[in-house]
Amino acid sequence: MSMTLFALMGCSLKEVKPWQKGTLAEDTMQYGGLHPEIKKFESHIYFSKEASRGGSGVGGGGCGCN
Amino acid sequence: MIKKILSILSISTITLMALDSGDTLPPLATKKLSLQNDKIYIIDFFASWCHSCEKELPLINKLNSSIDKNTTEIIGVDVDKNIEEGKIFQKELDLNFRVVNDANNEIIGTFNPVGMPSLFIVKNSKIITVITGAKDNIDSYILDGLKDLK
Repeated sequence: MSMTLFALMGCSLKEVKPWQKGTLAEDTMQYGGLHPEIKKFESHIYFSKEASRGGSGVGGGGCGCN
Repeated sequence: MIKKILSILSISTITLMALDSGDTLPPLATKKLSLQNDKIYIIDFFASWCHSCEKELPLINKLNSSIDKNTTEIIGVDVDKNIEEGKIFQKELDLNFRVVNDANNEIIGTFNPVGMPSLFIVKNSKIITVITGAKDNIDSYILDGLKDLK
């Protein structure tokens, strides 16, 4: 029964296709969105609290080719 | 019941697999790209947001000036959802080959490549070579792929 329910939850298994990653590459999809100062502010708080920085982003243009 | 659901899921996974060398193109792709038999087609999928595509396209442009147009044709498929954005990108790169805008991702959906940029060499609706991912010298990869056909 639980297996059937799991199989029916198809939406949770749906992957983002490589050609759909343009949406993910948009500025609005970035951490901090269109206002990079928010991201800067957040990372400053993170650094102050955790004494570490980085690991909040990935390189490349969002196409998954790098 | 469970067996039935699992078999449906496995069938859908198989149909979603990327096209590979030796596979036959679905009729939808052949129709949308207006492909003819006995001609070699180099089909390049790109988008304005894909930086690697931006680097590769000038090399493909250059290659298009040197290939025999009677036997070979390069077709670009722009998968940008926003056609206007795509057209601006194409104009900026001054593409000298035929470009098909695939805003609803119907064509790329039939090829189902594993990454972007993605390039397919096709003849008689059969896929000969698949080149996926960023390549510094894409033109030489294409020429190598074309060698197999001669």
